[in-house]
Amino acid sequence: MTEEEKKKKGGIFQAVREFVYGVAAHDSARFAVKSRASMEHLFILITMGDMLGVPILPPYYSLRLLPYVVPQISTWKRRMLREKDFTDGLA
Amino acid sequence: MKGVVHIPLADIFEKFPDRRYIMFGGKGGLGKTTFSAATAFYLAKKGKRVLVFSVDPQASLTDIFKRDIFGKGPTEIIPNLYAQEIDADRRVKEYQQEIRQKIFDMYKMEKIPEEIESYIQAAAAEPAMEESAIFDEVVDIVIKGGYDYYIYDLVPLGHALYYLSMASVYDAWISKITGLREQMREYDQVAAVMRREKELDEDAILNELLYIKDRINKSSSILTDKQKTAFFFVLTAEEMIIKDTLKAAELFAKFDVPLSGYIMNRILPSDLKGKGIPEYLKNRLTMQEHYLKVIDTTFGNQILASVPEMERDVTGLAMIEKMARAMFGEF
Repeated sequence: MTEEEKKKKGGIFQAVREFVYGVAAHDSARFAVKSRASMEHLFILITMGDMLGVPILPPYYSLRLLPYVVPQISTWKRRMLREKDFTDGLA
Repeated sequence: MKGVVHIPLADIFEKFPDRRYIMFGGKGGLGKTTFSAATAFYLAKKGKRVLVFSVDPQASLTDIFKRDIFGKGPTEIIPNLYAQEIDADRRVKEYQQEIRQKIFDMYKMEKIPEEIESYIQAAAAEPAMEESAIFDEVVDIVIKGGYDYYIYDLVPLGHALYYLSMASVYDAWISKITGLREQMREYDQVAAVMRREKELDEDAILNELLYIKDRINKSSSILTDKQKTAFFFVLTAEEMIIKDTLKAAELFAKFDVPLSGYIMNRILPSDLKGKGIPEYLKNRLTMQEHYLKVIDTTFGNQILASVPEMERDVTGLAMIEKMARAMFGEF
C-alpha cells in the first residue's frame, strides 16, 4: 500500500484518505475481490461452458469473448473440475 | 382456376413501397427459391435495385440462376438484379482466424495454448455455428445498404423459426450476462484500491456483450419490422401443407413476424379436365378442387397469387421470367 500511496499525486490529503480507507474498508475490499473472483468464474462458466460440456451461450458469440478470458481459463477449469463430495474424505 | 385471387401480389408491392425486406417462407421444396428469384426479377425489371440472397447452408440460387455465385459476394445477374450465396463455412473459418489473431495481439503469444485452440475448433464444429455465422452476415448485408429491396431466400420453416426464437433466447441471455458483468464492475470499483490494472479488459468485455446484443437485436428487428418487412407463405393445395402452413403462421404470429399473405404454387390448370386425361391426373384435379376450397375458406383474401404448375422446372432466366409473370401478371 505505501508504495502506491507515494505514487499518487494527491499529496498528503490523498494519502490520509487512502490510509483511512485501508483501515476502515480493507476487509470489505478483500471481500469484494473474493466475490469478484467467484463471479469471474461464474461468468466464464456461462460464456465458455462448453469447454466443460455445459453449453449455455451460443458458441459463435462465446468465441468473441474468448480472447479476454484466456489468462483465466486454466484456473477456472481447475476450480470447476475440483469436485467435492463426501467420498473425498475416504480417499 | 378455382382459387379466388383477391388482391394481386403486384398491388401489395405498390401499396407498401416501404416493405423492402421480402421473405418467402414455407415447407421445403414448395418453391421459396423460385419465388425469391422471380420476385427479384420482377422488381429489377421495374427499375429497382434488388439483392436476393440465400441464408440456407444448402443454397440453390446458383442452380436457379445457372451461375456459380457461391461465396462470391453480390453478383449481377441482369441489370439491377444481384444475387448472393453466403459461404458459411468460409465465414466460420475467417472468424476463427480473427479470434486467434486477437489472442496473439492481446497477449503477444507465439502459439495459442492447446486448450484454447481445441475450444476454438470444437466451437466451430457445432451445428449452430454455421447458422449463427449466416445470421451475422445477414446483419452485415442489410446494414451495408445499397439496394432498394432485399429478398431473403429463407431456409425451410423449422429453421426460420429457429432463427427467430434463437434471437429472443440470445437476447435474454446476453441481457443476463451483461447484468452479471455490470455487477462485477461494481465490485471492481469497490476493490479499485487493491487492483488497478485490469480496468481496460473489463470494459472490453462489456463492450463486446453490448455489441453482440446489438447485432442480435438488429437481425431480429429486421425480421419483425412491420413497416419494412413483408413475409409471404408459400403453399400448395395439399392437406398436410395446408395444416403445416396454418401451424407455422400461428407460430410466426407469436414472434411478431408481419405476415403479408399467402401464395399458392403448383396449381394444375383446371382446363385440363375436359381433355380426356388419364384417371391419375383426374384424381389429382378432383383432390386439388377440394383443397382449393379449403384454402379459400381458411385463408380467404389473404391469398395473393395462384401460380400454375409449370411444364418444366424453373431454372434459367427465361423460366424465371415466366414465373414472374405468373406471380405478378404482365409487366
